[in-house]
Amino acid sequence: MTSSFLLSLTTFAYLLCTFLYLAGTIFRFKPLLVAGTISGAATLLMQTAGIGLRWVESYRMGYGHAPLSNMYESLVFASWAIMIIYLVFEWRVRQRALGVFPALFSFLAMAYASFSKDVDSKIQPLVPALKSNWLIAHVMTCFLGYAAFAVSCGLSLLYLVRKRFPENPNPHGGFVAFLPGASQLEWFNYQLVLFGFLWLSVGIITGSVWANSAWGTYWSWDPKETWSLITWFIYAAVLHARNLQGWKGQRVAWLSVIGFGCVLFTYFGVNFLLSGLHSYAR
Amino acid sequence: MSKEKSAPGAVLGLLSSLKLTLVLFFALAAASVIGTLLPQEVSLLELRDHFSPVAASLISLLALNNLYHSIWFRILLLLLCTNLAACTLERLPKTIRLIRRFEAPFDAQKLSKFGLSSSIAAALPLEQTQSVVESSVCETFGRMCRIESGQVGGLGPFCAVSETGRWSRLMVYVVHLSVLIVLVGALAGSYLGFKGTMNLIEGETSDKVMLAESESVTELPFALRCDKFEVSFYDTGAPKEFKSDLAIVENGREVLKQSIVVNDPLTYEGITFYQASYGTYLKEAGIELTDPDSSKKIAMTLPFRQPVTIPGTSDQLMIAEYQEDLMRVGQAIELVYGKKGQQSSAKWILVDRPYHGNRIENYLVRVTQTDKARFTGLQVKKDPGIWLVWAGFTLMTLAIGLTFYSSHRKLWVCIEPDKKRKKTIVTLAGRASRNEQVFKEKFEALRASLENRLKNPSAPHEIRGHKTDKKGTE
Repeated sequence: MTSSFLLSLTTFAYLLCTFLYLAGTIFRFKPLLVAGTISGAATLLMQTAGIGLRWVESYRMGYGHAPLSNMYESLVFASWAIMIIYLVFEWRVRQRALGVFPALFSFLAMAYASFSKDVDSKIQPLVPALKSNWLIAHVMTCFLGYAAFAVSCGLSLLYLVRKRFPENPNPHGGFVAFLPGASQLEWFNYQLVLFGFLWLSVGIITGSVWANSAWGTYWSWDPKETWSLITWFIYAAVLHARNLQGWKGQRVAWLSVIGFGCVLFTYFGVNFLLSGLHSYAR
Repeated sequence: MSKEKSAPGAVLGLLSSLKLTLVLFFALAAASVIGTLLPQEVSLLELRDHFSPVAASLISLLALNNLYHSIWFRILLLLLCTNLAACTLERLPKTIRLIRRFEAPFDAQKLSKFGLSSSIAAALPLEQTQSVVESSVCETFGRMCRIESGQVGGLGPFCAVSETGRWSRLMVYVVHLSVLIVLVGALAGSYLGFKGTMNLIEGETSDKVMLAESESVTELPFALRCDKFEVSFYDTGAPKEFKSDLAIVENGREVLKQSIVVNDPLTYEGITFYQASYGTYLKEAGIELTDPDSSKKIAMTLPFRQPVTIPGTSDQLMIAEYQEDLMRVGQAIELVYGKKGQQSSAKWILVDRPYHGNRIENYLVRVTQTDKARFTGLQVKKDPGIWLVWAGFTLMTLAIGLTFYSSHRKLWVCIEPDKKRKKTIVTLAGRASRNEQVFKEKFEALRASLENRLKNPSAPHEIRGHKTDKKGTE
């Protein structure tokens, strides 16, 4: 059994998980949602094994580094982080009908990692700049933040869907009635933005501490750094806007969707469209 | 008169407003986006290669080509700091008042106006009710603290509060303070420190640093020697490690020897040396010129970047540049041919290939030998503000965590006898600075348990089910 086999299987398992959540929500059939949760948790375990195996394989190849060093490995970790954050969240709030977007994002991350021609899945040795203990801390914290923002984006989208329909919908009136209430969705979203903001901040901080030891400057306005700061500004705005009259609700939901757009650009846009110091993340 | 008085107030109001905060966040984000889309730190001349003259001048005028160091970007940052300070000035006194030890007397009527409040009519006398409430609150919320009602006389209501996490309200100010500390640290670093580069040839000693910003040279209080530079590669061809063996020389004496690699710099007397790059330096090259007309050959030795007169002529030749691998065809030198009173001409000459284009003026050129040396490229930095930045980062991490995941939770209790109905009224009220939902659930649980224990005094809730069962069977 190889890590690449386990990780390919993970990709399809996340697709199945997405369908289960989607079907469960649309047909308002609870057993399907339970199946979604079970398949999500099982896939997460399989993916964890896959990541662990890849780590072991890198040692066998004589490189020996955590599987967090390039685009492929970070995508796998992003997908893993989205699912674990979502499952913990689901367990905490006891709401199953929110899994469609997180499962979809996890699947898309894995599918992109596996099938895109731009992403090389080979285990590569670390270039000198990446040889640091900060690698694990920086990548893990950043992607925990990104993953929380992915789940938050999903919740914001559901919130916006929920808001399009009247507050007291007909109990047999489609899947919307199956979702938690708007104020509850807003609250969940806020919790995830808090979580994501904390980790994004720690991610930026660990990144700049690392940059200081590698390049001699903790902030150099490199496009990746700058875009992570832009994301930080947008989510800081989300946190502050919530206290402002007329902003809590739809505007905050839109802002957190925009915030996730910034996350995606920080991740993909900067790697493929802008050049900079983070070029090994390709 | 009143207008004059309110003007500073209005300015403070604007500066401390949350709307300004949002506007600044969006403005800083938008500015940063522009900064990543336009080329940075390029001159107006270079801009003209990419943009129309009008666009280039506009970009240069607005300093969009050096946006993050421009005055207007700094003004935005300064405004954010001012906004932050004004908010603190406006809100901190209120917060301090809120968390002071002193608790104003309150009564049941006041509590009933709280967003989260509830009233229970107990069938027990005051003292017993009090002990039930005390034990319940202690279990779920923590110790209660009695507040003097201010009423004189024996049968006043019993008023108490139970609270935790009072300090939590201050954490948001600590987050804001940490942002200021980081910015002050960055400012201190940019004024009191420097950044530069040093290219040290193996075996050579130098104390000169090329400064990054002003393109000038500064001298260190000590000298640095590079004993050796090594680069190793993986089987794949990717670089594995860059390593420089460095020595610090002070007054001609070697005081410290240390090897540095990327991610592991050397710091001496507050100045840090980072492994940044490496390269090959051409000391001198031997060349042979052939005059195609007379087939006469001239041999010369050219030290790097020093003009040498061609024997038998008044013309000069100089190596201006050296490339280890020019456009993937190997080593090349750039020769400059200077004729008196005429514009000099320059030509790239391939070292390893006897290429027919290896000509300058009408001479055929052949490079006979090269004398090269490795150099290590070091990034040199002095940053006395870095400790402030690190302190700010640590504080920020801790304070953000505490701001988000702690809260000031307060429970008010008022117990008073209702003489007419011979009952005791228990009024509860609660407030949490954060995580209101969780607090609300906890409050509801307390209310339900109290209701159980106070309304059915004969059946303490732990064994109530058991007792009723018994009743039924008897």
